[in-house]
Amino acid sequence: MDLSLSSFFSDYTLRTVALGATILGVTSGVLGSLAVLRRQSLLGDAISHTALPGIALAFMLTGSKAPLVLLFGAAIAGWIATLLIVGIVRASRIKYDSALGLILSVFFGVGLVLLSIIQKTPDARQAGLDKFLFGQASTILAEDVLTMGVLGFIAIVVVLLLWKEFKLLAFDPAYGEVLGFRTTSLDLILTTVLVLAIVLGLQMVGVVLMSAMVVAPATAARQWTDRFGVMMIVSAIVGAVSGIGGAVASSLTPHLPTGPAIVLVAGSIVAFSLLFAPRRGILWNWLKQRQRGRRFQEEAALLDLYALAQQHTGQSHSHTLGVLRAMSAAPAGTRRTLHELHTRGLVASDSSDGWRLTPAGFMEAEKLLREQNVRT
Amino acid sequence: MVHFNLKVSRGVPSLSRDGKAVARHLPQRGRERFSPLPQGEVVTSKTGRVRGSSHRACARPGSEGGVDGGHVVHGSAARREPRPPKSVVSRVMLLGVIAIVLAACGGGATEKGSPIASRKIKVLATTGMIADLAINVGGERVTVDALMGPGVDPHLYKASEGDVQRMASADIILYNGLHLEGAMSEVFERMSERVPTVAVTEGIDRAKLQSPPAFQGNHDPHVWFDVTLWMSALETIHNAFVQLDSANAAIYEANTRRYLDTLVALHKYVLDRAQSLPAEKRVLVTAHDAFEYFGSAYGFEVHGLQGISTVTEAGTADVQQLAEFIATHRVPAIFVESSVPTRSIEAVQAAVRARGFEVAIGGKLFSDAMGSAGTPDGTYPGMVRHNIDVIVNALSREGS
Amino acid sequence: MSSPLALEINDLTVAYHDKPVLWDLDLEVPAGVLMAIVGPNGAGKTTLIKAVLGVIRPAAGSIKLLGEPIEKMRRRIGYVPQHGSVDWDFPTDVLDVVMMGRYGALGWIKRPGKREKDVALQALEQVGMTAYKHRQISQLSGGQRQRVFIARALVQDADVYLMDEPFQGVDATTEIAIVDLLRALRSKGKTVLVVHHDLQTCPEYFDWVTLLNVRKIASGPMAEVFTEANLRKTYGGRTAIYSSINGAPNNQGLAKTAVS
Repeated sequence: MDLSLSSFFSDYTLRTVALGATILGVTSGVLGSLAVLRRQSLLGDAISHTALPGIALAFMLTGSKAPLVLLFGAAIAGWIATLLIVGIVRASRIKYDSALGLILSVFFGVGLVLLSIIQKTPDARQAGLDKFLFGQASTILAEDVLTMGVLGFIAIVVVLLLWKEFKLLAFDPAYGEVLGFRTTSLDLILTTVLVLAIVLGLQMVGVVLMSAMVVAPATAARQWTDRFGVMMIVSAIVGAVSGIGGAVASSLTPHLPTGPAIVLVAGSIVAFSLLFAPRRGILWNWLKQRQRGRRFQEEAALLDLYALAQQHTGQSHSHTLGVLRAMSAAPAGTRRTLHELHTRGLVASDSSDGWRLTPAGFMEAEKLLREQNVRT
Repeated sequence: MVHFNLKVSRGVPSLSRDGKAVARHLPQRGRERFSPLPQGEVVTSKTGRVRGSSHRACARPGSEGGVDGGHVVHGSAARREPRPPKSVVSRVMLLGVIAIVLAACGGGATEKGSPIASRKIKVLATTGMIADLAINVGGERVTVDALMGPGVDPHLYKASEGDVQRMASADIILYNGLHLEGAMSEVFERMSERVPTVAVTEGIDRAKLQSPPAFQGNHDPHVWFDVTLWMSALETIHNAFVQLDSANAAIYEANTRRYLDTLVALHKYVLDRAQSLPAEKRVLVTAHDAFEYFGSAYGFEVHGLQGISTVTEAGTADVQQLAEFIATHRVPAIFVESSVPTRSIEAVQAAVRARGFEVAIGGKLFSDAMGSAGTPDGTYPGMVRHNIDVIVNALSREGS
Repeated sequence: MSSPLALEINDLTVAYHDKPVLWDLDLEVPAGVLMAIVGPNGAGKTTLIKAVLGVIRPAAGSIKLLGEPIEKMRRRIGYVPQHGSVDWDFPTDVLDVVMMGRYGALGWIKRPGKREKDVALQALEQVGMTAYKHRQISQLSGGQRQRVFIARALVQDADVYLMDEPFQGVDATTEIAIVDLLRALRSKGKTVLVVHHDLQTCPEYFDWVTLLNVRKIASGPMAEVFTEANLRKTYGGRTAIYSSINGAPNNQGLAKTAVS
């Protein structure tokens, strides 16, 4: 197979799948950001799982497997589920995540039951509804991509229009209420748009995996920026990259299903971001911690040398490593600490394994002492 | 969601039943009857003694916010909350579950007590093709039930409790075997302890079975597409019936012989029609790799989008490769299957079109299920005939 | 034409699941005062604020702001919440948060522009946080966060400000700065109502006070109302504590002429 870039994307199937995946990635990236910032990540999971009975019922009532019909059923079911969750929280003492888990599993279970009922009917048209569990990204048709594009466009436009309102809703809904933005209405609009975003992705990655697409790009994006707008953009980009990456991977590897491939790419990006992002990444923080620890040891060694010097007249008296080790709280690292100080020009060593402060070292030690006195 | 519903510290005791009314009209008395304040901040009682450390309120940092701090105030007030009787609820649920399980298990042995020779044998088959065989062997002696109807995909079929009950109350269970009913192998194992359970493919010489590389040591189960192999299944069923009901062996013998003639004629028909196509035109492209046996028995090159089982999902590469193949070889038609979504084939067609070749969808084939009951396609011979006719008609058209 | 009363509350009752939180409250607050709302935990202080803001529905009673029902007067109320009420890890900076105060005036869909930015910068200047305008809010100290909230309320350009424990967790310098700010607001004719937790500083910072414990105990000018008797009614407790606050003997008014 010709692997040059242009021939890659001139392939119809890859183009179609990649385009659909991009729309999916961008939409779920943007709306996922809002969900994640509102601490409602699992709501995406709930909406996608609760879509299953909606799909089944839509088929049972209309007999049609047209994507628009089924997705409409999915949207209604997801919407009703969200309302139920909110209702349960308001009307009882059950907490949000319990209500969410409850509704999610009940709806999903009902969906599976409906699917098995459909499975038994002699209607030969029912084949393929269970594809909605894990999606069938590789066989997406051009008209499906069009549907996704339209829905995605609507969702993004709404977010752009209500940008500041959604930001306020996510950051300080109480204050928003005070300013006159009814939180309940905004919440309703945001939920509707989130349902749209999720439903459009069901054909590609399916009910079970869609929640990953809602959460992953946003989580990855948060690691790289502290600005709201930038986070949304990065999230959209991560989503798109995951989509295209998954499509390409599936195109290069026979028998690799596309939907799961997309989710795997997204997941890898999240793992990478969690580990390596500056300031918020695990690696970064670990390095910073070590740096701090080392600085602390250097300061302690300097002050130890200073104290020793005070006990001897003459600044040139040197002290052995053993003595310094004995004084140190972390004896094992003393030699390395001394070498580091030597590099900084604060200590000097002589031939007989003795260490003493240089004039610069003395100044530094005195400065440290002054700072310490100020602190206490 | 409005997050900041007014949260009051839980320890505030409730109003007395008509406390409201009391307090409204008689404010002083109301105050002493109930204290609307959380424990620890009670206003001077009648004796002037004070409870609680109210001076905490003037402390500087660290004093919690007011009412909506949400802090729980301890004390007897908090204890007044009603506790749900957890143990009772869980016990009831446990009993319920046990009851359901017992009902399911118990529903098995009904009228199986009476001797088999004196009544009709209840046969439960999995696929329609097997059911068809069973009816033809058993004739008047059997009532046959099929678990999976037209359009049902046996690779994905999951047995429900109702199905398990039907199986348990049958006299004999017939299934395909070779993992066609992928999700049901455990069920068959369980059932075989109570009811004679027969895999109709067990009599087929293993050497004749195909083993595709991707399937790793397992055999391709779609044996009914080779009529000669299906004759072996006929024989297996015949033997099973005779073993179950030896008194009527003669009937089964006669039926089987008659039906065997039908199958021989069917096989000849398919061969003739297949050979009416020139060899290079005999390329069969379908939604999943069900037709390998058909291909080898009747001389077709066979390609499927999905693998042997519809459980696997086709990847983008699979679609691309298949489309490439079709366009290069100018295959005139590809086929959808009754039990697999048509979308996948449509996607292949679109991909082929993008390569500049127009491939027709030649028609619907019955692969893992037969047509609707009562129609000619609802019988095994009818289904086989339908398939070969559709295939040959579509492929014999001049390619565009 | 606006009434001279900034706030007029009649018979306000707020109950939560049959538990009264505010009971039969009557309150009149003249315009242009700097008023402390004081009472023990659970007394209903925050509830009162929220009722005036219109975010909780009372079981009974009416609230009028500058002579009109509060629904119409949203634009004229500024709000500084307790600082724990927000997720401080949210990706936004100080300037952004302060500009949120203008969202109400902008209405739906309109984006904040240069004008809103200028107003926000001015407010940051007033609270002494200009240097931090692009600082991530997660990197702010408690006192700085409080100041950001105040700046946000300032840009609302309201007539009445409601603040819920703005001095909590705040260092001495910030506290002085905030008090100066409140006084500046008062001198502009604004009315400022502050839920305050520290009895010690009440007489010094505020000129009016409302003592609250589910019911109104007393309300009025500091000198008249902030007496030991009233405090006792509000809190209970040993009188010695309150005498020691001002060193005045029992039964005398405790407030000095603290606020000028």
